Amino acid sequence: MIEKLNQLREKIEDALAAAKIPSAVEDLRVKMLGRKGEMTLLLKTVGSLPAEERKEMGKKANEVRDWVTEKIEEARVRLEAEAQNAALKSEAMDITLPGKRRAQGRLHPVSVTFSRLEDLFVSLGFDIVDGPHIETVYHNFDALNSPPTHPNRDESDTFYVNENLVLRTHTSPVQVRTMESRKPPIRIVAPGQTFRRDEIDATHTPAFHQMEGLVVDKNITFGDLKGMLEIIVRYVFGEEAKIRLRPSHFPFTEPSAEVDITCYSCKNGLSKSSALDCRVCKGSGWVELWGCGMVHPKVLEMSGINPREYSGYAFGLGIDRITSALHGLADPRLYFENDVQFLSQFVG
Amino acid sequence: MNIPMSWLREAANIDEETDIFLEKMTDAGNAVEGVTRLGEDITGVVVGRIAALEKHPDADKLWVTQADIGTETLQIVTGADNLKLGDYIPVAVHGSTLANGLKIKKSKMRGLESNGMLCSIDELGYTAADYPEAPENGIYVFPDFDAEKFPLGSDARIPMGLCEEVVDFDVLSNRPDTNCVMGMAREAAAVYGTPFELSAINLKERGQGNTADIVSVEIRDTARCARFTARVVKNVKVGPSPQWLRRRISTAGLRPINNIVDITNYVMLEYGQPLHAFDINTVAVKDGKHGIVVKTADKGQKFTTLDGTERLLNETNLLVADHEKALGIAGVMGGENSMITEETTTILFESANFDASNIRQTARYLGMRTDASARFEKGQDPNQPPISVNRAMELVELLNCGEVVPGVVDVYPVPRTPKVISFDPTEINKLLGISCDILDKEHIRTYLRRVGIKTREAACVAASTADMHRRPHVRPEAGMKLEALIPTFRGDITCAADLAEEVARFYGYNNIKSRYAQAVDGEAALPGAGKTPRRRRQELLKKTMAALGYYEAVTFPFESPKALDKLNIPADCPSRQAIFLKNPLGEDFSMMRNEHTANGLLECISRNYNKGNESASLFEIAYSYYASSLHCGGDSASMSELPMELPRLTIAAYGTDMDFLAFKGDIEELIAALTNRPLIFTPHRTRPYMHPGRAADVAVKTSPNPRDTATVVGFLGELHPAVAKNYEIGTKAYLAELDINLLHEVAETYTFKFTKPHTYPPLDRDLAFKVQEHVPAADLESAIREKGGGHLAEVKLFDVYQGPQVGEGYKSVAYSLRFRDHNRTLAVEDVSKPLAAVLQNLEAKFGAEIRA
Repeated sequence: MIEKLNQLREKIEDALAAAKIPSAVEDLRVKMLGRKGEMTLLLKTVGSLPAEERKEMGKKANEVRDWVTEKIEEARVRLEAEAQNAALKSEAMDITLPGKRRAQGRLHPVSVTFSRLEDLFVSLGFDIVDGPHIETVYHNFDALNSPPTHPNRDESDTFYVNENLVLRTHTSPVQVRTMESRKPPIRIVAPGQTFRRDEIDATHTPAFHQMEGLVVDKNITFGDLKGMLEIIVRYVFGEEAKIRLRPSHFPFTEPSAEVDITCYSCKNGLSKSSALDCRVCKGSGWVELWGCGMVHPKVLEMSGINPREYSGYAFGLGIDRITSALHGLADPRLYFENDVQFLSQFVG
Repeated sequence: MNIPMSWLREAANIDEETDIFLEKMTDAGNAVEGVTRLGEDITGVVVGRIAALEKHPDADKLWVTQADIGTETLQIVTGADNLKLGDYIPVAVHGSTLANGLKIKKSKMRGLESNGMLCSIDELGYTAADYPEAPENGIYVFPDFDAEKFPLGSDARIPMGLCEEVVDFDVLSNRPDTNCVMGMAREAAAVYGTPFELSAINLKERGQGNTADIVSVEIRDTARCARFTARVVKNVKVGPSPQWLRRRISTAGLRPINNIVDITNYVMLEYGQPLHAFDINTVAVKDGKHGIVVKTADKGQKFTTLDGTERLLNETNLLVADHEKALGIAGVMGGENSMITEETTTILFESANFDASNIRQTARYLGMRTDASARFEKGQDPNQPPISVNRAMELVELLNCGEVVPGVVDVYPVPRTPKVISFDPTEINKLLGISCDILDKEHIRTYLRRVGIKTREAACVAASTADMHRRPHVRPEAGMKLEALIPTFRGDITCAADLAEEVARFYGYNNIKSRYAQAVDGEAALPGAGKTPRRRRQELLKKTMAALGYYEAVTFPFESPKALDKLNIPADCPSRQAIFLKNPLGEDFSMMRNEHTANGLLECISRNYNKGNESASLFEIAYSYYASSLHCGGDSASMSELPMELPRLTIAAYGTDMDFLAFKGDIEELIAALTNRPLIFTPHRTRPYMHPGRAADVAVKTSPNPRDTATVVGFLGELHPAVAKNYEIGTKAYLAELDINLLHEVAETYTFKFTKPHTYPPLDRDLAFKVQEHVPAADLESAIREKGGGHLAEVKLFDVYQGPQVGEGYKSVAYSLRFRDHNRTLAVEDVSKPLAAVLQNLEAKFGAEIRA
């Protein structure tokens, strides 16, 4: 009996050593430990042994069986791991092959700038409002305190539909429409397309984009306007960007200012000599970005707000110019060409 | 406005470095467009004197000169004939550079050494108009040279007036008073806080008689002419002006002509006041005096201006006339009949004030904008004319070009006095956000005084004193009003806010402290602020389009009316109606985008295609502009109400991966991002630019009631090949137009209740059958759903086959049906009945034959 067990054991050892694939081990397991396996059958003969031998042999036989079971299991685990390793090795890919891309589109760069700014203003508690593109002369000029002789009203500067209607030359008429329909406190921005009668060239397009801002409340000061401008500039251009305000003139604000920022191209303020050749700021170190000011008391009054009780500020952000500044783009015509080679470059 | 820096320095008494000075001017609102440094390109040209002069031994036309330049004497050979011993001349030494970039080097001329060059005006970049004393073909010789002031060997550009910084100031449209040297000098003085006063004018008045006996002035239209001042100069000697005056005029951008014209231009540059000079003998005499009449023209009156052009006038054009005829168009241009000629001996100088908008209208009506009209139309100070005309007289005496007759004729029916603005200085503190501790009343008064605005304490009103007693916590001076006297040249200042700007300009905009509290969390931060649901949805539309692979485009809203031809819209189609611009940038930009929004994107698609881009998928949200009256046959030129502006989403694409179903699928995905309502597609028939067999109306079924119709939100499909050809698109292109407002409306009907996800696995059954090829897939699907029973969850078409195996006129279609139950795993027996019913329905309705 013992001899048989030992033979069987050797046979199994040899078979396991010879096994190269997991299925060979499984076959061996069935052949040995299955219901009609050699080992099973041998073990069954233990019952027919005399009682005194039976106990001894039973123990021995069980030991051998456990040992065999264990060895087979070990071999199975080992061979399966080997097989998997081999499979993984053969499955290795050239991971530098191009991915199968599902092409995404992009928002227009001007849209991206609008949307970034809208995020800022919404977080500051502003409403975003719209106004018509075809606007009355009253809202575009008169109600903004623009004198009847103002050169901007000329047909050489402004598109007219007829004597009463124009394509809005700025987003400022939305200020008027807002004040006519709302009571202070007012905090709005009005993004949108605007139009001036400029021939298309390397620096002009007859349509462009603005975002008007208007805040009207009690005790709004020029200092509040400056604070807001600094917030906008830092948000858009980063912490290093500095602003300079220059007194200027807009009929609908008083005091009025032009906002310049430190030149984003030559980073002037840091190196005056490089600024001298800078084409963006023409050596001045500053770039004019947009206009702003305290809402003119006449404008408040014409829109039905008491200027003795309320004051406010307004600004008109030039979106194309901001976008160009952010991306180092010189020619605004590219915005209207819609070449996918151009549009696909912008992220946001 | 171009101002030579030397003139401004002299007028405002400034010795600051130019860059720093201009930065300070900019900070006060006088922005600088640019600085031109004249003479910068010329180097190494020095003052020399002809110390010896002899003929070249070997050349008839050459001279050999010895030019003394102080440190040495240079032998220079020249071809010029105009030199004599002792002449002072500009010498370009070895290594110098001249105006045209020419480098001067030592050379030999006919065997003799020449160590430089003697310069003509030409070589220094100028013409005889700048230096009329210069010989036509010869070396420039300094006239009346001051050898002590300009030693030999010193920079020759200085005595020639060639070194000048010319500053181009950006004059603000509300500040015509700064559009002259003195106005800018007043600003400069205010920047430095130094006193500024116009220098007193002293006249000798050596002319015979008295102006009042020679000239009479009558203003018949006092609304259009507020003031007319006249002076007379006798024994006029017309000739060139001295060099300093010519240089100032020409560096400021005007052409020197003769002393009289130059004086009027000089005064205009200096004081901003246009003057005009008449030959007095052309002014008709009435009652013993040359009589000037200011009146409007007759309608249709013809008049020849001094440029020789005949002008047709109207009844609003103002004339300076005599009692018989017109002499000039007031404020615009003088007449040919009264201009100064070589025979002129006595001149009448006009210095007048005309109504700005009238001059502007006249200049526009006549299509002529002159230096004078450009200034008058911005508005001039009516208190300026006598000062300016007297300044001109002073120059006449200085230049010794005539005898000034004593006295002025000055007609000024309604003198303008300084406007008084009463204001509370604390209003300025409040508006600027600067506390009274930093900027008190006296500071405010000082800043205002700098720009010539005097202030005084307002007479204390009893009521306000009483008010102060009731509110003892108010500091007495807080309520104290001031009165500001606004000089008449500052027509732009009309209220306290304007005064605040003046104070802020000199306090420094950049010195005002920024306040952030209000911006970040001020009380004005409104609850519920932000984006409306429609704005958010519009953003979602854009983002979804981008995610689906489309690039956002932006086009102009004005396009060519020919676009409608390219889109094959019939000539008589009412949908051609559009709003037209009155003054477009040419016909190609004359029509506002109407209900056919496709053109803009198709132009872009064409551009992409013709640049060789493999594919392009674009979308745009843009407005259609409709006049409500237009559809009743109105005309945009007479439209009085605002038109409707309706946003539309236009989508266009071409490319190898693009076909009808891919395009349709994108639009289905897009709408699925807005609503879970079913879409219904029906053949589209109306737009002539769509392929008649490959275009669909897109409708959203918002109501569960089968009798309710679906809302058509737009259409999609393949572009008509003929239209593609019109746009030079050489491949299949796809186009969709969707109405954004309708998309909003259908999306707003979306009411969503979630369904529990299934726990038990589905039971899938495939169904393949043969039908006639014209049967729409949508009808088959409806028939399947109709009889599919309660467990039918999904129906998916997975194959369509046409070919010999199914026979001519037929197609084989295959659907996958998925059945589910929330409470158990379905068995085959559960679906056998509904499947049989579906098959029966298909057979009954469409004659479907089941395929194995």
